[in-house]
Amino acid sequence: MTATLEPPAVTPRPPEPDALRASLVLHDVSMVYPNGKRALVDVDLVVPRGDFVFLVGPSGAGKTTLIKLLIRDEVATTGAVLLAGQDLAHLPRRQVPLMRRRIGIVFQDFKLLPSKTVRENVAFALEVTGTPRQQAAPVVERVLALVGLTGQAAQRPAQLSGGEQQRTAIARAMVHDPEIIIADEPTGNLDPLISWEILQLLLRINELGTTVLMATHNAEVVTALRRRVVALEEGRVVRDEVGGYHREY
Amino acid sequence: MLTFTAFSVRRALQGLWRNRVMSLAATVTMVLMLLLLAGLLIVLSGLQAGLSFVEQKVDVQAYLYDGVPPDRVQALIGQVQALPEVSAVTYTTKDQALADWQATLRARGQQDFTAVTGTNPIPASINVKLREPGVYGTVVDVLKASTGVVQRVDETQQVVDALITITNVLRTIGLIMLVMVGLTVLFIVVNTIRMAVMARADEIEIMRLVGASDAFIRWPFIFEGLFVGLIGAALTLVLLGLAAGPISQFTTAIVAQVPVGFDQQLGLELVGLVVGAGALMGGMGAWISVRSYLIR
Repeated sequence: MTATLEPPAVTPRPPEPDALRASLVLHDVSMVYPNGKRALVDVDLVVPRGDFVFLVGPSGAGKTTLIKLLIRDEVATTGAVLLAGQDLAHLPRRQVPLMRRRIGIVFQDFKLLPSKTVRENVAFALEVTGTPRQQAAPVVERVLALVGLTGQAAQRPAQLSGGEQQRTAIARAMVHDPEIIIADEPTGNLDPLISWEILQLLLRINELGTTVLMATHNAEVVTALRRRVVALEEGRVVRDEVGGYHREY
Repeated sequence: MLTFTAFSVRRALQGLWRNRVMSLAATVTMVLMLLLLAGLLIVLSGLQAGLSFVEQKVDVQAYLYDGVPPDRVQALIGQVQALPEVSAVTYTTKDQALADWQATLRARGQQDFTAVTGTNPIPASINVKLREPGVYGTVVDVLKASTGVVQRVDETQQVVDALITITNVLRTIGLIMLVMVGLTVLFIVVNTIRMAVMARADEIEIMRLVGASDAFIRWPFIFEGLFVGLIGAALTLVLLGLAAGPISQFTTAIVAQVPVGFDQQLGLELVGLVVGAGALMGGMGAWISVRSYLIR
């Protein structure tokens, strides 16, 4: 685990009674799909607030399923998934959107709307959650500044590089000032140099106090950063330690 | 709330425009349905008015030849009055009949040509009220038997029966057609909104991920359906407004003495019915679509 001293936060949060309150807790989580496929088996995972965790493992190891559980796209067959102290299995349907505002999610394919500008793409997340425009505008400018896209705010995704598109997606993930950023292969479509850029940005967001969980295949990045690595294989956590992409003996 | 409504309305209008071919198809079928509905209401209320008008009139009316000697007329009246089925007999002179006719024309605001010709084309008549409606006994036979006096006998009951039959048949056929067209409209609205939902699949996915509530995801589509219904209703009312004059003239020309036409009451009913039905069909279609394609 790295130092999680909180430097001046981008958005001040009320102080937590328990600084080590976990962002994320998975307890004995198993997930069996209706077709009988066991995607996760007895997964235990605690991610303290402010942690930076890499989630690694081969395709089909259960990374995507794990992320689906975290955003409550799926509900675990057994076990408990707690996000910021909330048990997702017992969350009423109406509360799900509110919970998702506490998660910023970033995908490999960016998921930007091509007809909207960078600024509009970012503002969209506030607009569809009922934030009045006057309140949304300063938040949008602030997160655009955070990801360094103030100058490109009026451009459309097609006019941007892959890295800029991903930074737009990260800006959008940050507008609700989330508890945790979940990034699913955020550098999967990017060349190595741009990948580093995105990683730098996620590290900076982490330094500002937001927990980051990043699923990745990028061994180079994982090994170089020497952060906490959780490795999944066939639905089980096979390794959870600070280190590189591969197990070091 | 304001943000929500503005957002939903804006997205609904955007959706209508983006998906304009389907929206147009839905609106046109909506107009057809609403025109059918309005037409049915107009025709049925016209028939109803005709029916009550005819019913409150005398039961049997005998029109007399001009220039029949008064004593023969009196004799006939006495003869009819003596019949057990008859409750009252009144005699309308030629002059009285003309005055009544002119009053009717004035009330309808139509021109009185009898004043121009200077002659009186309206015959005198004997009006028979029966003790029990429909029980004629020999009244008609007695009247018809007096040759040289009675020109023609009208039995109201025949007209009433015919009107009731026409009304029932029209109501049944109209309702069946209305249900069929209504189902078609519903189907088209459901499909239109379904296309709108699919066109926004990416946006909906992003909305879910960033924590948009169900209301923000669904209501724009419901508004879209409502707009199809309301635009259809507005077009229908415009068409009806344009057609109101000619229809009034046409119907009065057919049923000359019956006060059929667009009065204020019928007009208000029509506006309410057309707008209500349009909004209901549009909103319901969208709701069905949203329930079947968006709920997860």
